[in-house]
Amino acid sequence: MNVIEIHHLTKSYGKARGIVDVSFDVEEGEIFGFIGPNGAGKSTTIRTLLSLIRPTSGSATIFGKDCVKQAPEIAKEIGYLPSEVFYYDKMKVIDLLKYSASFYGKDCTKRIKELAEYMDLDLKRRIDDLSYGNRKKVGIVQGLLHEPKLIILDEPTGGLDPLMQQKFFELLRQENAKGATILLSSHVLDEVQRLCSRVAIIKEGRIIKLEKMSDLTRDNYKKFSVECDAAADARFAVDGVSNLERKGGTVSFLFKGDVDGMVKRLAEVHVRNLWVEEPTLEEIFMHYYTKEE
Amino acid sequence: MNVFLQELRSQRRSTLIWSLSLAAFGSLYLLLFGAIRNDISAFEDVLKNFPPVAQAALGFVIGTLKTVSGFYAFAFTYIVLCGAIQAANLGVGAIGREIGGSTADFLLTKPRARWSILAQKALAVLVLLVATNVVLLAVTIPVAAAQGPDFDAGLFVLLSATMFFVQVIFASLGLLYGVAAKKVKSVVAVSLPGVFAFYIVGLLGAVVGEDAIRYFTPFKYFDIGYILKNAAYETGFCLVAVAVVVVAVGASFAVFAKKDVQAL
Amino acid sequence: MNVFWRELRANRKSLIWWCVGMVLMIYAGMAKYAAYATSGTSIADLMKQMPASLSAALGFAGLDVMKASGFYGMLYLYLLLMVAIHAALLGANILAKEERDHTSEFLMVKPASRSRIVTAKLAAAFVNVTVLNLVSLGLSFAVVEQYAAGENMTDEILLLMGAMFIVQLVFLFLGSAIAAVGKRPRSAASLATTVMLVTYVVSIVVDINKNLGFLRYLTPFKYFAAAPVLDRMGYEPVFVVLSALIIVASVVVTYLAYDRRDLKL
Repeated sequence: MNVIEIHHLTKSYGKARGIVDVSFDVEEGEIFGFIGPNGAGKSTTIRTLLSLIRPTSGSATIFGKDCVKQAPEIAKEIGYLPSEVFYYDKMKVIDLLKYSASFYGKDCTKRIKELAEYMDLDLKRRIDDLSYGNRKKVGIVQGLLHEPKLIILDEPTGGLDPLMQQKFFELLRQENAKGATILLSSHVLDEVQRLCSRVAIIKEGRIIKLEKMSDLTRDNYKKFSVECDAAADARFAVDGVSNLERKGGTVSFLFKGDVDGMVKRLAEVHVRNLWVEEPTLEEIFMHYYTKEE
Repeated sequence: MNVFLQELRSQRRSTLIWSLSLAAFGSLYLLLFGAIRNDISAFEDVLKNFPPVAQAALGFVIGTLKTVSGFYAFAFTYIVLCGAIQAANLGVGAIGREIGGSTADFLLTKPRARWSILAQKALAVLVLLVATNVVLLAVTIPVAAAQGPDFDAGLFVLLSATMFFVQVIFASLGLLYGVAAKKVKSVVAVSLPGVFAFYIVGLLGAVVGEDAIRYFTPFKYFDIGYILKNAAYETGFCLVAVAVVVVAVGASFAVFAKKDVQAL
Repeated sequence: MNVFWRELRANRKSLIWWCVGMVLMIYAGMAKYAAYATSGTSIADLMKQMPASLSAALGFAGLDVMKASGFYGMLYLYLLLMVAIHAALLGANILAKEERDHTSEFLMVKPASRSRIVTAKLAAAFVNVTVLNLVSLGLSFAVVEQYAAGENMTDEILLLMGAMFIVQLVFLFLGSAIAAVGKRPRSAASLATTVMLVTYVVSIVVDINKNLGFLRYLTPFKYFAAAPVLDRMGYEPVFVVLSALIIVASVVVTYLAYDRRDLKL
């Protein structure tokens, strides 16, 4: 079953680009990664899903309900953590969390305590006295306290130290294990690679790739690194090769295609050393972004 | 009702301060009446001998000044002006504070329809304004009554109630501004110039024509001279006031329902 | 200088609107005077016979509103209130907005000391209030002379506008001091205008109740009220000194507090 279904979603801001014809689905129980650089349209897509902005055309459903028309209904089961967290300055942390909980019509006191303890957050402090990282923690607790079925995270880890990031990801895994679906937008590809089972890559407002993480990193591409003379580089510039670059004595490239053909090409040069690896998400991402359309 | 309660809570201190300040100012002025009422009676006799032009130029109607309500009416213009500022603050801030302070993301991703959030906010503003007026009346009526046996409570309330109506109008206009503006960076930087702009429009009467100008500023919908004389409001302007409020609030709901709330 | 120019540009539109407001106010006010003046001398007689206690309670105290200068003096209180709002808002916002709009980090890590930034901002604000004052001055000359009926008012207008300028500076720097000291940048403007409005109300209270005259030291609106200024054709030294003290103290507080301030994200 799909938790999120996005159909040809377009949002234009006058002449400036928003998103164009974005379509993808997020299945129940998965952790879905949504990656792209700043300004590619990640936030626009997410804000449309949350009904903070209205689509110019196209539609989206969450839990089978229309995002625009049934937004309040849908929101009951969504936890949202924005990239920049701003809350009512005069409030204490606990007051904000209680206020947040009051929207969901269930008692979240216990959950708030658990989460605050886990994230090491002092509930009694005033929000305007908190550091950026601590505000972020408030955002995390605020987004999870009602045990949502769908968690939407927009660039969530900025401001968290590595220890907290670990704890946070662990928390997300736990929620996921309990059945929550997660949509994680990020440009920190490392965290997406660690968490997500599927990813969509967005570029200039369009989805350019939608694939399982395992397929994306394993089956399609190999990363070759060859220690050889520079004169041989030209031999590798064939179909299926991208991101070809030389650093010192080593030339490296991504290759998609007939591996046998590449091995035969390698046999023609003097290879001093050779690595064939699965590329990281980052390398694939760079591949999609540097490739001419 | 949580949004409603939260709005009440966040504005209760400032509303209390406004209420007490207005009440204190009104009372102080009323207390003065006892001190100079003999002077006024003497002057009333003098005034009667002058042509109507002269009386009108001083802005009051003969026979009203010697009553507490008539005397109060002079200071009341200032009280209404202050009340309008308070109301505009509440109106502009209701939604403007959320969007300006970037808390809109928090509020609008909660399971509440936008109309419900706006309705709760508007209701909270209304309740706060009612509270302000109740405090003002509760303090000024006894003070006014103490100034003499001829105190007409009905007229006094009728006069005082105009502040509430003017406030509701400014709150509605403020609400619409807060909803429609891309981002309200500072509430008072909007409300103060806004209220004073309407106040200045009221002063333009001498240029545009006193009758025509009345339609363009809420400060002139309720003519104090008329109220003192007839113990009633002008039906026509009541309708104008209602129309302004209905249109502004209606437009607020329409605009807010479709509003794009942008990231920072 | 870049901060200075940037602030001038940022406030340009709002300044134009304030100037329009002042222009309308002066024009409308003096048009009203024309209506009074044509009603003849009967009002003048009436005013003369009004008991002092009553004329004070009605806010006419000490001004001969039948003369163009007297009427202008009455109008002046409104002008004063408007420019005070402008100055207080400007002073508070020009400092508070960086933190409010989350641009303080951007600005403060630039190779310019905080005091240099404050100087640039205050200078820009100073230019703004000066422009508003000069526009009011110019228009006052143009409009008031029209109605003056031979009464030469150049000195009166210069005196009143000079006083207005001092009041503008008082509220401008009070505003900036409040913004520099205040903990929450989002409420700086509202705090500054609250202070300003309270002093305004105090000035009305002083008007209507002579027993509270000692309160006039607390409200800049009374430092250079039209009646006494026009009466003696000059300022009372004590209030000039008091204004200067407030301005200097506010400026010093602004610099010191802003320099030590923990900037909010």
